[in-house]
Amino acid sequence: MMSGIAGDGKLLFLDGGMGTQLQARGLQPGEVPELWNISHPSDVRAVHEAYFAAGADVVYANTFGANPAKYHGDAPLEDVVAAGIGIAKEAASSAGGRRLVALDVGPTGRLLKPAGDFEFDAAYDSFAEEMRLGEKSGADLVVIETMGDAYELKAAVLAAKEATSLPILATVALGEDGKLLTGADVECVAALLEGLGVDALGLNCGFGPDLMLPYVKRLVAATSLPVAVKPNAGLPKVVDGRTVFTVGPEEFARDVAALVDAGASIVGGCCGTTPAHIRKVRELVSYEFVSCKSASEKSTHPLQTHPLTHSKTIVTSGSRAVKIPIDDTIIIGERINPTGKKKLKAALAEGDVAYVLREAVAQAEAGAHILDVNVGVPGLDEPAVLDATIQAVQSVTDLPLQIDTSDPKALERALRHYNGKALVNSVNGKEESLSTVLPLVAKYGGVVVALTLDESGIPPTAEGRLAVARKILARGAEYGLKPSDFVIDVLCLAVSAEAESANTILEAMRRVKDELGCRTCLGVSNISFGLPARPLLNASFYTMALGAGLSAGIVNPLAADMMTAYRAFRALTAKDPACGEWIANFKEWAPTGGSAQPVRPHGGATQGKETGASSESPLASAIRHGLKSDAAAAAKAALSEGAAPLDVISGGIVSALEVVGRGFEAGSVFLPQLLMAAEAAGAAFEVVRKALPANASGSVKGPVVMATVKGDIHDIGKNICRALLENYGFKVIDLGRDVPPEKVVEAARREKARLVGLSALMTTTVCFMEQTVKMVHEELPGCKVTVGGAVLTREYAERIGADNYSKDAMGLVRYAESLFS
Amino acid sequence: MTVDIAEIARYMRMGRSLPDGELAGRVERMRDEALKTLRTARIWRRFPIDGNVIESGGLKIEIRGTIARHIAGCHAAYLVCGTIGAEFDAFQRRVSVSSGVDALVAQAIGAALIEKWMDETNAEIEKELEPGESIVSRYSPGYGDFPLSEQRTIFKLLDTSHKIGVSLTDNLLMVPSKSVSAVIGVKKGTKAE
Repeated sequence: MMSGIAGDGKLLFLDGGMGTQLQARGLQPGEVPELWNISHPSDVRAVHEAYFAAGADVVYANTFGANPAKYHGDAPLEDVVAAGIGIAKEAASSAGGRRLVALDVGPTGRLLKPAGDFEFDAAYDSFAEEMRLGEKSGADLVVIETMGDAYELKAAVLAAKEATSLPILATVALGEDGKLLTGADVECVAALLEGLGVDALGLNCGFGPDLMLPYVKRLVAATSLPVAVKPNAGLPKVVDGRTVFTVGPEEFARDVAALVDAGASIVGGCCGTTPAHIRKVRELVSYEFVSCKSASEKSTHPLQTHPLTHSKTIVTSGSRAVKIPIDDTIIIGERINPTGKKKLKAALAEGDVAYVLREAVAQAEAGAHILDVNVGVPGLDEPAVLDATIQAVQSVTDLPLQIDTSDPKALERALRHYNGKALVNSVNGKEESLSTVLPLVAKYGGVVVALTLDESGIPPTAEGRLAVARKILARGAEYGLKPSDFVIDVLCLAVSAEAESANTILEAMRRVKDELGCRTCLGVSNISFGLPARPLLNASFYTMALGAGLSAGIVNPLAADMMTAYRAFRALTAKDPACGEWIANFKEWAPTGGSAQPVRPHGGATQGKETGASSESPLASAIRHGLKSDAAAAAKAALSEGAAPLDVISGGIVSALEVVGRGFEAGSVFLPQLLMAAEAAGAAFEVVRKALPANASGSVKGPVVMATVKGDIHDIGKNICRALLENYGFKVIDLGRDVPPEKVVEAARREKARLVGLSALMTTTVCFMEQTVKMVHEELPGCKVTVGGAVLTREYAERIGADNYSKDAMGLVRYAESLFS
Repeated sequence: MTVDIAEIARYMRMGRSLPDGELAGRVERMRDEALKTLRTARIWRRFPIDGNVIESGGLKIEIRGTIARHIAGCHAAYLVCGTIGAEFDAFQRRVSVSSGVDALVAQAIGAALIEKWMDETNAEIEKELEPGESIVSRYSPGYGDFPLSEQRTIFKLLDTSHKIGVSLTDNLLMVPSKSVSAVIGVKKGTKAE
C-alpha cells in the first residue's frame, strides 16, 4: 500500500518539523500544541502550506499528542483531530496535485507495564480512539512516530490495523546508542513491525541524518519494506536557555541523500527542520537518486524484496532479537512447563510468581536463547494464567519466549499481549489446528513451530513427516506465511517404545533442512522416556541431533550434560570462534573423582583466627561469612558424617543465623551481610531438606503470602523480606507487585495463610494498603497482616489496622517466628 | 560515569563501612554490569519566578511553604529532570528475582548512580548561569510540604516523556524508577552569601 502511495519505485517526500515551527510562531512550553488547530488554525495551515510548497508529498497533521491518554486540552479531542486533519486537507487541496495528509500519532507519554504502570490494552484503546477520529476526519494514512518503546509501538500498530483501513507508516526514535528507550535495536524493531504487517517503517527524530546512516543501513538489510527517514536538523543544542537545531538545509539535504543512497525511499525531517530543509532535500535527493539508480541497478532498493531477508527467521522480545539459525543451533529452555514438575505445578496453582521468575532467570543465566512458557495445569484458567505468566517473565528477562499452549483462546490473548514477536508452539497438520493457529500467527507476526502430525497421527517414516510439513507450509502460504516463518518439529518419540525413532528423527531433520530449507526444533529428552540414566541418553542423542542440523533444541539448560554437548558441538564444528565459549566455560575444568569434593577453606585464614572461633563449625562459619556453596558443602559433609538432618538445622543453620541476626540488631552486622548469611543458610537448608523424609515436620514454616500493594510498582523491600523469610525456612507465596486487595485475599484464603505481608513505597499507594488490610481482616479473621515500606511508621501502621509493623526484614522474620513457633 | 564502592556502600546502609570478602566482589561485579545498562538522559529549562509563581503556557507552579523558604530571594528557577534509564530497572528486576542481596546491592547502585548524574547535571546548569548568579540545592516534589502532585506540572513543562523518556504513573511514581525531578532556585550572588 505504501509503495502504491510512493509510486512505482519513486521517492516519497514527507514534511519537516511541526513542533519547532509552532514554537517559532509563539507556542509556549507547557502549551498543548494540538489546541492550535482551533486557536491558531491559520498558523498551522501556513506551516503545512509551506511544506507542500517546498515539495512535500505528505504532511503530518498537527495531531502528534492527540490521544486520550496524553491530551489534556480544553477543547474536545474529536474537534481537535477533526480540525487538525481539516486544516491539512485544505492546505493539500490548495497545493494541488497528489498531496496526502497523515494522521500523526505520537506516544501516549505513559510507560507501559512492566516498566511502568500503563496497561497494554489501555494504550491500545487510546490509540484506537485517536485513529478512528483520524480516519473519520479524512486522513489518507496513519503515521505512528517517535516511538521509544517497542511494546507501545505494537499497541499502536494493532490499533491502526483494527480500528482503521488506512495504510500504516511506523517510525521509531533511536537514542544516541542506536536503541529505543526500552532497549530494542533496529533489527528487533524491523522484525516486530514487519511481523505486524505495517506498510513501511523507519526512523525519525533522535538525531541528525549523519548519525542515522549506519542504522538506516542496518534497517534496510533487516526488512523488505520501504524504509522511511525523518531525522532532526542535527542534535539539539541549548543556546541562551533555548533548544536549537543547527544543521542547515544544505548539509541536511546532503546527509539525507546518503540515506537514500543507503536504501531509504520515504524522506522528510523532524525537529528543527524547516520548509527550507525539505526544499533542499527535494532538489538534491531527486537528482541524486535518479543518477544513482541509473548508474547501477540497485538490488538493495527497498521497494524490491530482499531474498536474504526472507531467509531469516527472527523472534524478539521487547528489546532483543534472536535468530533461529539454519547453519548453527540455539537453545530453547524447557523448564517453564508443568508436565512432570510438581513444584512448578504447585507454584502456578498458588499464583507464586516468584518461583516461575526464578526458573526464567536461571535458564537465561545458564545460556538459553529462548524460553518456553507452558502453564497447562488442569483446572487453571489457562488464558488468564498464560497471559499473566508471560508478562511477568518478560519483566525479568529480555529473552524472546515460546508461547506453548494448545488452547487457541490462550494463544491469542498471549500473542496479543506479548512484548515482541513470539515463537508459537505449535501448529500441526490437523485442519482444526491449521485454521485456528495460522491466522493468529499471520495477524500478530510470529514464528510457529510446526508439528509433523495430522488427523492420522504421527507418520512412522521420515517421508511421512515431511509430507505433513509440506502440507503445513502450503497452508501457511495461504495466510501469507513464508517457510522462514516456520520451525519444523519432526517429533521425538521414545526409543524404548519405538526402536527406529531416533533414526527416523535424524533422517527427517536432515531432509527438512535440505529439501524444505526450513529450520528444525525438537524436544530432545523425550527420546529417553522409560529408560534408566536418562540424562546420559539425552546428551548423546542431543549431540546426534545437532549433527543432523537441529536449529533449536528444546532442552533443560540447567542440565550440565546438555550444555556440555551444545558447547562441544559448536566448538567442534567451527561455530564457536576460537573456541572462546568453550574455553570460558571449561578453563577451570578438572576430572571428577569418586570422592566428595573437599570443603574449600573460606574467609581466609586470618578471619578464622580473628574470631578465635575454634568451636565454630565449618557450617556456622560458612553461613556467617555468607558463603553459599561452602555452606551447602558443609551441610552435606555434616550429613555424611552422620548428623541427623534436624540437628543440622537447629544446631548448625539456625544457631549460626541467630548469631548474625543478633549482630544485625546490635548494629555490628549490616543488612547486606545479614542477607548474605541468610542466603548461605538457605543453601544449607536446601541440602538438609532433601535428606529429610517427605512431610517431615519442622522443615517448612508458613505459608506467608506477600505482595506489594496495588498501584505500587517498586518491590525492592518486599523482595528482600521474601528472600530473608525463605532463608529462615518459611514458605513464601510471592504475588508480585501492583497486587489488588482481592487477589491478596484470594491467595491467603486458598493457602490458608496465617500471615500476609504487605509493602508500599509511596504516600500515594498506602491507601491501597489500608484497603487490603481491611479486606483481609473482614474476610479472613485470624489472618494477621504485617506491613512495611519506606513511607510507613508504626503509628500509621496502627492507624490502618495492621497487626504488625516491621521496620526491616529482620523484624519481619522475628514477627513471623513468633507467629509460627 | 561510574560510582565507587564506598558510595554504593552508603546506600547499602553500611554507613562508613566498606563491603569486604565475598560481598565486595559481588558489589563490584554488579556495578560493572549495571554500568552497561546506563542510558542517562536529562532536561532542564529556566523559568522566571514572578510573585512566587513559575508560569508558562497556562501552567503554574506556586512556590510556598518549605520550598518558598528554601529558594527565598531567588529570581528564577530551573526545572530539571534526569534519569539513568529504563534498562537499569530491567536489570534490577532481573537480579532481584533470585537474591535479596543482589536486590539490595542493585538498589544501592542505582541510587548512587542517579545521585551522581544529578550532581553532574547541577554542574552543567551552573555553566549556564549569568555572571553573578548562583544556584541553591535541588528541591523535589514530595519533599517537605512541596506537593507531590506538582510532578504533573513539572513533567508537562519539561515534556519529559517525549524528551527524555521519563513518565509518571497514576500514583505519581516516576518511571524509570531511578529518576529525579526538582526545582533549582537561581539567586544573585555566590553560594556562600
